[in-house]
Amino acid sequence: MTTATIPIQKATLSRADFASDQTVRWCPGCGDYAILATMQKILPELGVPRENIVFISGIGCSSRFPYYMNTYGIHSIHGRAPTLATGLAITNPELSIWVITGDGDGLSIGGNHLLHALRRNVNLNIILFNNRIYGLTKGQYSPTSRLGAKTKSSPMGTIEHPINPIGIALAAEASFVARSLDSHTQHMGEVLKRAAAHRGSSFVEVYQNCVIFNPTEWDGLDDRRTRDDNILYLEHGQPMVFGKNRDRGIRLNGFTPEIVVLGDGVSEADLVVHDADSTELGYILSSMEYPTPMGVFRQVEDRPTYTDGLMEQIATAQAKRGRGNLDELYRAADLWTVVPQDPTEPIEAHISGRVGGEMDDEYTDMLTGQGKEADDSTSYGRAGTNLDIHGLKDRLTEVNVEALGTHAPVEVDTQTSLAKAIRQMNSHQIGCVLVTDETDRLVGIFTERDVLMRVAGLVDDLAAANVGAYMTADPVAVRADLPIAHALHLMALHGFRHLPLVDDDRRPVGHHLVPRRGALPAQWVVV
Amino acid sequence: MKSLKEELESEQVRHLDLSRYCAVQSGTPVREALATMRAEEGRPMLVIRGEELIGIFTERDVLQRVVGRPDALDGPVDAVMTARPITVLPDTSAADALWLMDDHHFRNLPVVDRQGRILGDMTYAAFVHYLAARYPVEVQNRPLRPQQYPSKPEGGD
Ligand SMILES: Cc1ncc(C[n+]2csc(CCOP(=O)(O)OP(=O)(O)O)c2C)c(N)n1
Ligand code: SF4
Ligand SMILES: [Mg+2]
Repeated sequence: MTTATIPIQKATLSRADFASDQTVRWCPGCGDYAILATMQKILPELGVPRENIVFISGIGCSSRFPYYMNTYGIHSIHGRAPTLATGLAITNPELSIWVITGDGDGLSIGGNHLLHALRRNVNLNIILFNNRIYGLTKGQYSPTSRLGAKTKSSPMGTIEHPINPIGIALAAEASFVARSLDSHTQHMGEVLKRAAAHRGSSFVEVYQNCVIFNPTEWDGLDDRRTRDDNILYLEHGQPMVFGKNRDRGIRLNGFTPEIVVLGDGVSEADLVVHDADSTELGYILSSMEYPTPMGVFRQVEDRPTYTDGLMEQIATAQAKRGRGNLDELYRAADLWTVVPQDPTEPIEAHISGRVGGEMDDEYTDMLTGQGKEADDSTSYGRAGTNLDIHGLKDRLTEVNVEALGTHAPVEVDTQTSLAKAIRQMNSHQIGCVLVTDETDRLVGIFTERDVLMRVAGLVDDLAAANVGAYMTADPVAVRADLPIAHALHLMALHGFRHLPLVDDDRRPVGHHLVPRRGALPAQWVVV
Repeated sequence: MKSLKEELESEQVRHLDLSRYCAVQSGTPVREALATMRAEEGRPMLVIRGEELIGIFTERDVLQRVVGRPDALDGPVDAVMTARPITVLPDTSAADALWLMDDHHFRNLPVVDRQGRILGDMTYAAFVHYLAARYPVEVQNRPLRPQQYPSKPEGGD
């Protein structure tokens, strides 16, 4: 596994070093400013040089963030910041990459992109500014807007149930999931630093105040007076005490968290102890509204990052095959040229191409797993073999029925009498004869089932009747290089018990008969 | 990981898809037995006396002992059946049943419990169906004609 080591700069940077020269275009009083300030404050403490830091955003007020940071930055495509960031994290694992998104950018148009960056555990810090509104476009409701919220686009109140960003992140398997709020910058700073320190996808929801279009959204939480009565600060390993006076706590009643007052027979020992390793607890906390949990909901440290896994595979592949060449790789695939069609010529004449043989085989081997060492060395014989499941699967698809031993064809022609055909079957101890025409091509089969259903006790003079009138015409016939799996398919799904084996001209080359000793599943695969 | 052999050793005959059969009483004329079998799509026939299994009468018996012998048609089925067939218990292992069929060329193994009740008829179809369901990707997910199956894993030819 590769570990990106981030060089620590000697000369310490200050907050000012991270502020760009751009005019900040947010409305005065916007919560985004607090987040910007906090970010500029904590970055010097992380010791990462500016040139190794990148901010990537989508579209929205929040997404203007990179302009204001004196680092690298990309103000990218609406909802696609996690995707661009994924590409960057792969190509340069040395970077410290921050994704800045909003509730609209990250959860409406970019919902899917967010999910997959999270589940892949790309080494990113994704900060979602949640103001429960589309700020940039002047106040339309967003996927996190409360049910009934009156906005520019929902004058009668929204009729959509909001989604819960923390729940989404947990469900997407983010390895670090946290929440903070703009107005509590110390808390936010600590959470951001922990997010930065975490290797893998860190998701931080920051409650952010849109003072113009949704100024009352975080009432109670962003008021210093009431804040600590309304927030449950999550601390791993600590009992869930909350309240300004630390006089209340959370106890679990079944799966339901309930608020209890400490004292009065209830002690800290009765409270839930926060466990950031617990996914279950994370889900319970994610749906809690009062008190509002803030801090790290879940943190999973032992998961390799996407980049680690990928780099490991690249190193393994290069050790085996050397460095690749993209141009060659591209040209090794099937290439063809399509030229305008002359309506008088058949279309095939217009397709020229070449098949990169070696490349294809290699690719195919890779897909079928043949490249790896064979994990079985068994024969098809009965004695002493011990097929494992993988070996058997391969055998089913790679071994042909002819390898199992087939019966030489017992052939009659359409003019053969029933009497003679039945004599043939009995003398060969076989339940099926192949019926051919003058050119020796297979035209039918005549089986013991036909004898039972159409002949026995029904046809008086067997010598006078011809097989052609009693056979099963045009049977499914297969080539002898049929994989066992396909023979089983025909027997299991189509009920065939006799598989005539023919060449490309439909001339019989054998029988595959079921049941017949040597043609049984027992002989094929079980031994 | 278990081998298929081990898997079949722990699987019991009653867990398999047993084949359907038809039944007639001992003494039934062959002509009538044939008509019954035809009406039942050619299923193997168990010959019983009262409730007790005394023989089995199959396509192969028809081929070898009935067709071309008009005199047999009016005699009892008992004369052309295979008498006292080997049976297996419902909790016989699937592997044992398979070896039995393979070693003795049996094509039908009636499944009879310890009280003598007939529970079904085991044929090779039971194994074929087991394998198909056990390896659905390899066996079931195919077209009828092998040439319609892409030769490359990514779907190309
Ligand atoms: C493809 C596309 N669709 C829609 C828009 C309009 N649009 C711009 S920003 C935005 C939503 C921003 O909401 P959010 O991410 O919450 O950012 P905020 O402004 O609230 O910080 C929308 C819908 C766009 N610019 N591009
Ligand atoms: S990708 Fe292939 S296997 Fe999957 S549904 Fe489509 S056709 Fe079927
Ligand atoms: Mg928003």
